[in-house]
Amino acid sequence: MIITRAPLRISFVGGGTDLSVFYTKERGHVLSAAIDKYVYVTIKHGPEIRGINVRYSESETVRHVRELKNDRVREALLASGIDDHIEISIFSDFPGKTGLGSSSSFSVALMKGLRLLRGDTVSARTVAEDACTLEIEVLKEPIGKQDHYAAAMGGFNMLTFNPDHSVEVDPLLLDFHKSVGLEKHALLFFTGITRDARDILSEQQNNTASRFSTLSQMAAMVEPFRIELLVGNFKRLGEMLHEGWELKRTLASGISSSVIDELYAAGRQAGAWGGKVLGAGGGGCILFLAEPAAHETIRSVMKNTAEKHNLEWFSEVPFQFVQSGVEVLMHKQK
Amino acid sequence: MKDFVGEFSNHTIDALRALPSAEIARALVILQATYERGGRIYVCGNGGSLALATHFVADLNKTVFSSHLEKKLQRFQAIRLPSTESELTAWANDVGYDMVFAGPLKNYIQEGDTLIAISSSGNSQNIIKAVELAHEYNVPVIGMSGFDGGALNRLADAKILVKTSLGEYEVVEGVHAVILHMMVKYFKNYFNFLADNGHMV
Repeated sequence: MIITRAPLRISFVGGGTDLSVFYTKERGHVLSAAIDKYVYVTIKHGPEIRGINVRYSESETVRHVRELKNDRVREALLASGIDDHIEISIFSDFPGKTGLGSSSSFSVALMKGLRLLRGDTVSARTVAEDACTLEIEVLKEPIGKQDHYAAAMGGFNMLTFNPDHSVEVDPLLLDFHKSVGLEKHALLFFTGITRDARDILSEQQNNTASRFSTLSQMAAMVEPFRIELLVGNFKRLGEMLHEGWELKRTLASGISSSVIDELYAAGRQAGAWGGKVLGAGGGGCILFLAEPAAHETIRSVMKNTAEKHNLEWFSEVPFQFVQSGVEVLMHKQK
Repeated sequence: MKDFVGEFSNHTIDALRALPSAEIARALVILQATYERGGRIYVCGNGGSLALATHFVADLNKTVFSSHLEKKLQRFQAIRLPSTESELTAWANDVGYDMVFAGPLKNYIQEGDTLIAISSSGNSQNIIKAVELAHEYNVPVIGMSGFDGGALNRLADAKILVKTSLGEYEVVEGVHAVILHMMVKYFKNYFNFLADNGHMV
């Protein structure tokens, strides 16, 4: 029995420059951090298990791997050569399609677990690459590489995406005053709207040529963001998130919507220095940075705005940053 | 006599000024991640470095939490290698001195743990064996070395090298003690900060 988990992440600046259509022409940069919300994968393999069993929001039992509907598990198993006697279950602290990179965290936890099952102890970086290969090369997902690295490595990282497809990971050596300080200034809300990142990212991929200079500007914001984070200038970080969001929302039509715009504007009017919609956009989570004294006002304004739009699943998401990336929680031979 | 005191102090001050701060920060990040996932921290060294290892284990396990001993708070799980004299002599006598750390380490080691290896020369065979075992398990190594760093500094993930001329054991071990106390102080401040800000029940 194997149990692995990988954290979700908050991406602050540079998202979109991790797509190969961008970074093959100009180096991409992203700054992100892992949070204490996880995707868990359990794997049991043995002669007592009949067939292939996969449990997630659905439950599948099939005779042959290629019959699986869950494309990630199907392709990962096909690549691993395991073709019978296996049960894989997936648990999550937080729903998917919410902009926190959960599908890539899942792939990272899955690839780590399958490697262990084959007796391979591999580094976080190798697992990140495994997960990138699975989602981008095999499944042709229109996504970038940032989420796999964020989930595998953990902590705060500046990621650089080179034209030769290599990825540099530069961990931010952040004092606890800064990381806990950032938590104390941050507010994270789930809008209650879920979306499929693929539609937005496909449009964004197609738009890349015409939006190239915008993406360049977004990549160039990463280093200044890193410097302000290292000194703990939270107000400036909030303003930079806002500048980044203003750029990002022009990349594809679905990134924002009138409801998202209204929620975001409400938070800003209630005192937030700035913020952004996380992930591909179109729904999911909104992050704000604001003076802690303004948090109560922002909470109540956000709640009222969400109620006005009947966003039943709207909620605040308390979180902490975590340094640890993909983890093996249990590994027993029997 | 005064000249000697001044000269030794200056050597130590020079070594302190040249501390690899980014590598020490990297070590703190590794320790923080290990704490979060409930991993163990193994510490080993020979002679004076073993004494440093013992001292550090006590500080990390207890002193860091001194103001919060009644709280139901997860603590560090640091282990000095080997943890008993019996294991030390059994491995040395029966197998060889090069296995006194790697041998006992294998009883505990799991992915998710961390190894702190302390060696002034960076070339002690028993230290290098422990480092190699750690890497087999994907366990990060914080290497604390002196002189030119030796093999330990090449192999470690956090490379804490106190650069001195060869054989300056006294300066290296003294500065190693300062660095270990710096780490203790960092985490002591961290848990006190969490408590002061209502993050700890």
